[in-house]
Amino acid sequence: MVIASEAGPSKSGREKEGSPEEKDDRTFECNICLDTAKDAVVSMCGHLFCWPCLHQWLDTRPTRQVCPVCKAAISEDKVIPLYGRGSTKQEDPRNKVPPRPPGQRTEPENNGGFPGFGFGDGGFHMSFGIGAFPFGFVTSSFNFGDHHHQRPAHGAGRGMALLDEDPFVSKIFLWVAAIFIMWLFYA
Amino acid sequence: MADQNINPFSQEPTTKTTPERRQLSQSNHAVSRRLQKELMTLMMNAEKGVSAFPEGENLFKWIATIIGPDGTVYEGITFKLSLEFLNNYPYVPPIVKFTSPCFHPNVDLTGNICLDILKEKWSALYDVRTVLLSLQSLLAEPNNDSPLNQTAAELWPNQTEFKVHMEKFMADMRKQNS
Repeated sequence: MVIASEAGPSKSGREKEGSPEEKDDRTFECNICLDTAKDAVVSMCGHLFCWPCLHQWLDTRPTRQVCPVCKAAISEDKVIPLYGRGSTKQEDPRNKVPPRPPGQRTEPENNGGFPGFGFGDGGFHMSFGIGAFPFGFVTSSFNFGDHHHQRPAHGAGRGMALLDEDPFVSKIFLWVAAIFIMWLFYA
Repeated sequence: MADQNINPFSQEPTTKTTPERRQLSQSNHAVSRRLQKELMTLMMNAEKGVSAFPEGENLFKWIATIIGPDGTVYEGITFKLSLEFLNNYPYVPPIVKFTSPCFHPNVDLTGNICLDILKEKWSALYDVRTVLLSLQSLLAEPNNDSPLNQTAAELWPNQTEFKVHMEKFMADMRKQNS
């Protein structure tokens, strides 16, 4: 009901003058070619251009790079490309113009949950534990390659290796510990 | 990341040879598109006191008129101007000249104009409409520090004397032209 009552007057209004739609279109016009912006970029001061248009503008005056609209200082690497839904399909025929500078994407702040392999979000100890996992795996697979297959949970890392019941492994660790203590005494 | 948009197959050698001409025609096309748009907006919302229209078929040469602003010595006088657009318009300003005699501190005897936005202060955003409106306000407020017409600049502070001189100048120019 609400939709119907709203759609009625607005539609007839558009038919009468056609200006609201026109205005809408003009909002996305490039400030240089006055056409709907193609490969749109927006400057830090918020003004919309086609990338080829803005590039040529910056190219014609390398010493005085200002926004054509507000004369704020602008540069190629400080414009933001606008990616609309249908925009990536359009190929720019002007090969000569270098491509738009890419958008700068930063990862959102991740609060809580399993942080994956990222450092700095789950506390230092946590990250270290996870980080050490591949090394543990490597040492276990290189040094004790023959026992590898017998172990049920070989991927569980170093912590598991220490608890391994294999006498050979525990012997080696004992020897390593002994050598380490000896070295400590001598040093 | 930085080069994700670069086409790895962009042909660098071809850009130097064949597309030269194609690019020129493309830019010509872009310029005429923009000029058509300007003409459309000028015709749709006519500005008071200024008008412009292409000279014949050529969209790159326009004839414009400015009516002298009210309350100035130029009140009621219609000035004709010529505008010439280059292939790299709007990246460079159009060449604008008075074709009817204009006695003004910043206009020389052949009609050349000294106005910053038509030179170093040009912006791609400016169009025929804004240029003409700027010229109209230049008529009312000349920049007497950098005159092209020294006599006019010296006479400007005394408006009655300026007007007398201007009318004589205009009559002389009309005689010369006829």
